[in-house]
Amino acid sequence: MHETKEKHDFEPKIVAFVCTWCTYAGADLAGTSRLHYPSNVRVLKFPCTGRIDPVFILRAFQRGADGVLVSGCHPGDCHYMAGNLHARRRFAAFRGLLDFVGVDLNRLQFSWVSAAEGGKWVEVVTDLTERIRAMGPMEEFKALETEECWSGELNSPELQEAYNNI
Amino acid sequence: MSKMITEQNLRLLIDTLVKEGARVVGPRQAGAMTLYEPLTKGDDLVLDQLPRRSAKEAFFPVCETILSFERKEGKTTVQDVDVCTVPETVLIGARPCDAAAPGILDAVFSWDYKDEFFLERRRRTTIIGLACTKADDACFCTAVGLSPAEMKGADLFLTPLEGGGYACEAPTEKGERLMARHPQLFDDAGNAKPLPLAEPAVEKLDLQKIKAWLDGNFESPLWYGIADRCAGCGACAFLCPACHCFDINDEGTADKGERRKHWDACGFGKFTNHASGHNPRDIQNKRYRNRIMHKFKYYDDKFGQTLCTGCGRCIRHCPVGIDIYAVIEEINKMGARDQGPGTGKD
Amino acid sequence: MNSTAQKLETSTPIDTSCYADVTDAIRKEAARILADGTVTAVVGYKAGRRAGTTMPAIVTDPAEAGGLIFSPACVNNLALYLTKAKKDVVKKGRIAIVAKGCDMRALAGLMGESQIKREEIFIIGVVCAGVKGSGAVNSEPLTTGNLARKCRECTVRTPEGADLVAGTMPSLPELTPVEALEMARLEAMTPAERWAFWKEQFSRCVRCMACRQVCPFCYCEQCLCDKNRPQAVESTPRPAGNMAWHIVRAMHLAGRCAGCAECERVCPMEIPLNLLNRKMALEMKELYGFEAGLAPQEKGPLSSYKEDDDQSFIK
Repeated sequence: MHETKEKHDFEPKIVAFVCTWCTYAGADLAGTSRLHYPSNVRVLKFPCTGRIDPVFILRAFQRGADGVLVSGCHPGDCHYMAGNLHARRRFAAFRGLLDFVGVDLNRLQFSWVSAAEGGKWVEVVTDLTERIRAMGPMEEFKALETEECWSGELNSPELQEAYNNI
Repeated sequence: MSKMITEQNLRLLIDTLVKEGARVVGPRQAGAMTLYEPLTKGDDLVLDQLPRRSAKEAFFPVCETILSFERKEGKTTVQDVDVCTVPETVLIGARPCDAAAPGILDAVFSWDYKDEFFLERRRRTTIIGLACTKADDACFCTAVGLSPAEMKGADLFLTPLEGGGYACEAPTEKGERLMARHPQLFDDAGNAKPLPLAEPAVEKLDLQKIKAWLDGNFESPLWYGIADRCAGCGACAFLCPACHCFDINDEGTADKGERRKHWDACGFGKFTNHASGHNPRDIQNKRYRNRIMHKFKYYDDKFGQTLCTGCGRCIRHCPVGIDIYAVIEEINKMGARDQGPGTGKD
Repeated sequence: MNSTAQKLETSTPIDTSCYADVTDAIRKEAARILADGTVTAVVGYKAGRRAGTTMPAIVTDPAEAGGLIFSPACVNNLALYLTKAKKDVVKKGRIAIVAKGCDMRALAGLMGESQIKREEIFIIGVVCAGVKGSGAVNSEPLTTGNLARKCRECTVRTPEGADLVAGTMPSLPELTPVEALEMARLEAMTPAERWAFWKEQFSRCVRCMACRQVCPFCYCEQCLCDKNRPQAVESTPRPAGNMAWHIVRAMHLAGRCAGCAECERVCPMEIPLNLLNRKMALEMKELYGFEAGLAPQEKGPLSSYKEDDDQSFIK
């Protein structure tokens, strides 16, 4: 944990929505086993992947996440029998929708990480972080946040530019 | 000496104003429709149809920030928006129904509270109106006391001429100033006749009689039949040049965010919902009644004006075919018969 | 929202002679079932003030059944009036509803979701050669040029499972599947191009909520998108909130939307919303072999699962 970190120009922000029973315990195991993984990931704990609403993922992107990870129990291991199986369908559908509106799916990762898979957690998080780092910041949703409808704008740089070009 | 402007010079006027740093807002193509939007050059102007949304958004934006807040180290700072940075604006190509509306709204926005966001935009905007040579089956400006040649609200008013170009009149000083600033673009009017204007095929309604009926018929069974089909959306209010309800929302995080003012509509079920859960307008009929009452009675009671300019947008785009002209025509008839409560039919 | 394909196509008239028979049949049946007490109300269409327009009507008196009509302007999906979103409108008792094939799909969906019971409604099914699309002039007859996009790919022109089916179907000219072509055009774009497309479309949205209010499946008493504490989706009509709202809307209708395309029809800003619904329907079909609205199904694709569902996207 105390090794010197490699310096990068861009440190992506990654939000991980995880279930408390498997992946959170898996991440905990990674920690207690003194495994290293990038500190770019912010972990949010949920009772079950079935509780993770697609709107949370959307919100994460809107609030500046460059990548999102959703992780829970392997099929058959769900503490609530089938929460993860419902989630599997929901996220399959949500991926299709995000792709259709033009979000690069490489920024969104789903995984099954059990309480015993500290190593897999490290691998998933590291891979995702490196992938997002290579992709650069997620600009689309952030750009939207700052946009106004024309009438609500007091000064518009785009318009000013258009004026200047006439 | 009366003046005229050629089509070419009208577009040149836009270019010139833009170059001077003014924001020029006019009907512009947006997909299959037109919308009032900032124009970047004269050729952007499209005048052959009534824009889908009214021109009110030049004064009363769909959504605008009214303050921003930030919390740092336990201290919250609040920053007001400086309305003085609103650009000088010329609204061009506003039809009589759109040009008349902002003037009607002045009353409510400068009543008990002076809404500087609206009023500053009003002060900084010059409206160039345009007479109508086309009307469709939803237009009804003549029924509510306006007309295709109505100059009310316009600072400069254009009337299309036979053989092209527009006759120009400047009913206000603002309009005269605009003409005086660019004398080379305006010619002396010759003998060209104006194009025939479009009279909507509707009866002129007696707004006082309608108001008198509304005064005594808050509980009429008419309301319970008329808006059963209303789906409760805000399409009518949001397209309307005169509807001006807004909501205020704080958005962002606890650490940083903005307070935003944005359009709201009395058709929404949550519009009058109290924090307690009680809703005085608990069913759609009551909400629709409010729409009619506000336009033809309450606003008249308070400000002596009618809150409808007959643009017909709510008729054209109501998802369930509610026709405000049919409603007020029915009330007009009932007012004339002076029979009190209606029949519940429309 | 005319695409190039629709513009290129020459406009040929569509045989709408069947609409008169349908109108007759609706009037007769409505008068009969109201008079004999089979139903307490009939939800149908009647003519609007402007020539060539119609509006939804709720008729409770057999004497008024003569005002009911069916024409190419009968665009509304009346299933809306049977949901709890409109519970203050239709009174108690069995209700009759005039339904086109596409509207029947919504009825089937609502039955599957336990919102209505089959025995509590009386369905007057109508054969339908199509209704008018956006931008059609009221006074014009129905043609291949002004036909609604959904009608160009209709598979349910003669409804099944109704209590009565009015009219017989005329033969129709070849129709270009404009919406399918538009889907293909979007699918062929890069994600960045698609983002630009939707960003432009959603930027016009004013959040009038017409899409939600006319949707037979948006019957929630509390919409997630109306809540501001906590706020999941910004309620202000800004580009950010608009994008989130339309994504959430499409997601909540996935596997439920029966494809009536009312959301797209009523959008005053002409945002092609049905493309989103259609995309979700395609996903549901490809992934889980599910098609909404064919018959009442108790469990939709997103409220059920199979052990062997695809998980190739999960690490």
